Amino acid sequence: MNTKAKLLGAAALLSVAMPALAQDQTGDARIALSNNYAGNSWRQAMLESWEKVGQQAVEEGTVAAADTFTTSENQATEQAAQIQNMILQGYDAIVVNAASPTALNGAIAEACSAGITVVSFDGIVTEPCAWRIAVDFQEMGRQQVDYLAERLPEGGNLLEIRGLAGVFVDDEIHAGIQQGVEENPQFGIVGEVHGDWAQDVAQKAVAGVLPSLPEIVGVVTQGGDGYGAAQAIKAAGRDMPIIVMGNRQDEMQWWADQRDANGYETMSLSIAPGVATLAFWVAQQVLEGADVPKDLTVPFLKVTQDNLDEALASTPDGSVANVEYSLEDAKAVIEEAQAQ
Amino acid sequence: MSSRFRILLPVLSLAVLLAAVFYMQPRAMSYFGLNLLFNLAVPIALATVAQMMIIMVNDIDLSTGTFVSFVACVTATFLNDAPLVGLLILAGAIAVYAALGALIEARQLPAIVVTLGMSFVWGGLAVLILPSPGGSAPGWIRALMTAKPPLVPMAIVASVLLAAVAHFVVMRTSTGAILRAVGGNARAVSRSGWSVIRLRAGAYALAGFFGVLSGITLVGLTTSADANIALRYTLLSIAGVILGGGEFTGGRVSPVGAVIGALTLALAGSFLSFMRLSPDWQIGAQGAILILVLAVRLVFARNGRRKEAQHG
Amino acid sequence: MHFGAVRALDGVSLTIRPGECVGLIGHNGAGKSTAVNVINGGLTPTAGTVTYRTTGTGAASARAAGIRSVFQELSLCPNLTVEENLRIPQRDLTGPGWRRRARQRIADALDTVFPGHRLQPRMTVGDLTLAERQMVEIAIGFAEGAVPARLVILDEPTSSLDASIARQLLDHVRDFCNRGGAVIFISHMLGEVFDVATRIDVMKDGRITDSRPRNEFTQQGLIDAMGHVATAPAEARKETSAAERIGDEVLRTDEGLTARRGEIVGLSGLAGHGQAEALARFFLSRSKGRRHARHPEVVFVAGDRGRDGIMPLWSILRNATLTTLPALSRRGIVDREAEDRLGADWKKRIGIRTDNMNNPILSLSGGNQQKVLFARSLASTAPIVVMDDPMRGVDVGTKREAYEMIRAEAAKGRTFLWYSTETEEVCQCDRVFVFRNGRISAELTGDEIDEQHILAASFEMKEPAE
Repeated sequence: MNTKAKLLGAAALLSVAMPALAQDQTGDARIALSNNYAGNSWRQAMLESWEKVGQQAVEEGTVAAADTFTTSENQATEQAAQIQNMILQGYDAIVVNAASPTALNGAIAEACSAGITVVSFDGIVTEPCAWRIAVDFQEMGRQQVDYLAERLPEGGNLLEIRGLAGVFVDDEIHAGIQQGVEENPQFGIVGEVHGDWAQDVAQKAVAGVLPSLPEIVGVVTQGGDGYGAAQAIKAAGRDMPIIVMGNRQDEMQWWADQRDANGYETMSLSIAPGVATLAFWVAQQVLEGADVPKDLTVPFLKVTQDNLDEALASTPDGSVANVEYSLEDAKAVIEEAQAQ
Repeated sequence: MSSRFRILLPVLSLAVLLAAVFYMQPRAMSYFGLNLLFNLAVPIALATVAQMMIIMVNDIDLSTGTFVSFVACVTATFLNDAPLVGLLILAGAIAVYAALGALIEARQLPAIVVTLGMSFVWGGLAVLILPSPGGSAPGWIRALMTAKPPLVPMAIVASVLLAAVAHFVVMRTSTGAILRAVGGNARAVSRSGWSVIRLRAGAYALAGFFGVLSGITLVGLTTSADANIALRYTLLSIAGVILGGGEFTGGRVSPVGAVIGALTLALAGSFLSFMRLSPDWQIGAQGAILILVLAVRLVFARNGRRKEAQHG
Repeated sequence: MHFGAVRALDGVSLTIRPGECVGLIGHNGAGKSTAVNVINGGLTPTAGTVTYRTTGTGAASARAAGIRSVFQELSLCPNLTVEENLRIPQRDLTGPGWRRRARQRIADALDTVFPGHRLQPRMTVGDLTLAERQMVEIAIGFAEGAVPARLVILDEPTSSLDASIARQLLDHVRDFCNRGGAVIFISHMLGEVFDVATRIDVMKDGRITDSRPRNEFTQQGLIDAMGHVATAPAEARKETSAAERIGDEVLRTDEGLTARRGEIVGLSGLAGHGQAEALARFFLSRSKGRRHARHPEVVFVAGDRGRDGIMPLWSILRNATLTTLPALSRRGIVDREAEDRLGADWKKRIGIRTDNMNNPILSLSGGNQQKVLFARSLASTAPIVVMDDPMRGVDVGTKREAYEMIRAEAAKGRTFLWYSTETEEVCQCDRVFVFRNGRISAELTGDEIDEQHILAASFEMKEPAE
């Protein structure tokens, strides 16, 4: 996948128009969502998006059912049992956000051998017979540095806020940021703190490290930590650097306030919970017989100065910016993967 | 409550639940369906039998879940890559269990504390062996777990076999009788010249053995492991033993009941899933099923006692 | 043989030959159980030897010599079946077919000892009545095994059997001895002992004081033989005229236990004949409700300190003021100063030997721990004090002090219910109820309170029913 295509982002995908083809081929197909966890706002938004798109698809006769199942405990064995139940219930496709990349493989192999299409997303599975819609977290880190390079061609010092230590996602985004800095040597990372993807943790961590830092021009983040960083920097009385945000409502609200007050400008990106709907359409496409590569990539949902107000208005308090994907978006993602 | 009566209620609750599942999902009433419904219950049943061995001697094992996870990690790595090393590690794990039993008896420690501590040890070892999810199941165990015997699906064959073996070991052999006696009246046992330390170690070793089997079969089903794969098993296994007619004290356990209890719990999960119950209610509903069965048991037990009083 | 500072057995010489049935009798703490445990190898004597038919000492050689014990407290596993319980003492029951052999042996034994019984070897012991369990236990004692039973020790074997079953047992014991077996028969039913024993050994204070063939004893002679030779009559009791301080009746229970204001009422009889239960029942019936915490009507002094007395991790002060805490607190907050004052007061009054009441309770000796428990109860305002063998393991000096304390409190109008296994303590009381088989068998007052009367009431005198 080339970088340029990615840079287009989700907003660009929306503009790709494709004629809808023979949707009635899957009119009696039943798709189920197997979800391992529903305890945070991202997952809640994800389930809402699925319900919304699924219901509409059922009404339009695209599919016969789009049911959701969430396990009561975030445990792989329970989810494996849930998937086996879905096989029994006769679903044609199962869309999975998995509790473990490997522990569901047995159940997913059972599903595949029963002729069921399995599409995993977000929490993907390694079983080869399943489709994977993965997030390219490295790319997420790299794009932040690319954006800063665009805004600040002369470069400068950066502060990096990392996530929860020892977690795969943190390592990946961090690697992407390092790669970005290597590609743009005018930047240098002068400080690194763990914000655990939480505003309060990030605020404390940044406030603690600030006094020892030289002037910083930009803050690269992992999402959920931008607002806390801004509060800490403001409290220290420093000039506000460009803080790359992570689509959280409080982050975008602060950004909008600053923009109105002093024309502050930045960028925000993250994965939209609506990625579940992308998986839904991919499953529908597989059922329809389309040639879909096994490995697909989730496009990022980017919020820019231009669509900030729009994104803010549609995001509830305490939640994260979301978008529901359409069949056309799915086809674009598939085409992009095919093109590789 | 006699032992024959003890087994009646678990059988009945399994039958009722099974009937309900068949009614809601007729597809389950097939070779294929029964296998799907029950194959993930096999490792749970093994873990439940392991827990039963501990409850049999009046203790409780809070490390079952992490121990099975640990075994799963060993199975997916060492047992697959270097079978001999893997077997040695698993044998060592059983020896550790036996040593724990001896320690608990010799120092009169509360098992609940010791096993709680051990749960962190097993969990830590599991993460050390398999820092990120992965590994793969040895071919033979995968073949065994996905075998398709004629007429009766593998899950049922395995469950029946397990129930028969556990029943034989615990209820029929003379050693089993002595082990249960430790739970019933340890003082009488030691007064007759038995070493309760050795007996408790034996019960724990049996628990370790069935725990190892649980981990191996689990990997056989999932094809790979993860350090947190079986955390639920601790509570599931305790619930399974109790649901199967066992009691926390007095060495009153039923191996057949424990297997049935484990199957019932697994089936209850499927039942609620078929009901399309919201996840917020599922844990509560599972608990409600458990309480219901235990309440029925209490009523039966009370009536039994009243009848006894009338006779006596 | 010593238990801590107490000499439990002292120069006991006991020889049991085949064909003998030895009746072993004696009052509480005479050393019967200790003697039995030395014989069966459960305890190792500190001096002296036990010789069996086989060589060696200890439990294993006792078993190899065919010594079987049927204990007073039930030693069956209620979760096992009758046949499985036989497996516990009989180690040869292993391998294929063990169950069949066990069933055969226990069924034979039951048929022999208790003909016409309705027990099945496959019955779970937990489902049996108390009498049936005792029958099983006796049958296990006599059952055939790898080593045949040569000496069976029966400790109160008939305590829960009805008369006809008990008769079957006595017949069997006689028969067993006639066939060359030996039996040690311990019972408080003197009639039974007379009925079955060929020789009667009387134990007192860890010694065998009398050992004669049965026909040389009379029942009254036995009672006399059991009594303490030198029991100092407790004159101190008469210091305050009982008539002066004893007032109106303050309690009366269903069993017939009565007590009046200012009276010290003793409960006596052999251990485990329902005294502790009677006290517990009475205490619980009077200690319910919310009012109880602040103004208790009854307080309890426990004898088994470890089980229901002290809080082992707490300080002496906290242990002493536990019962009085509600009275010491205002709006749910404990008044620390008042608590300290109370502690200091009682430390002085009963002489708790510590330099600081904040020391942990376990730093005290057993006797002083018991004093703290006394202080806890006596510091309350309760008019009735219930004491369950409160002097267990307490040295003589402390006992004296406690007697003084109790008498002083009684003089102030408190009523004491005092269960004791020691006759000397019971002799401190104004009135004594003797318990036997869970019932009051005698009420003694004034000069009747002496060892003779208590022993006579403790032991069943009549012949076992036909």
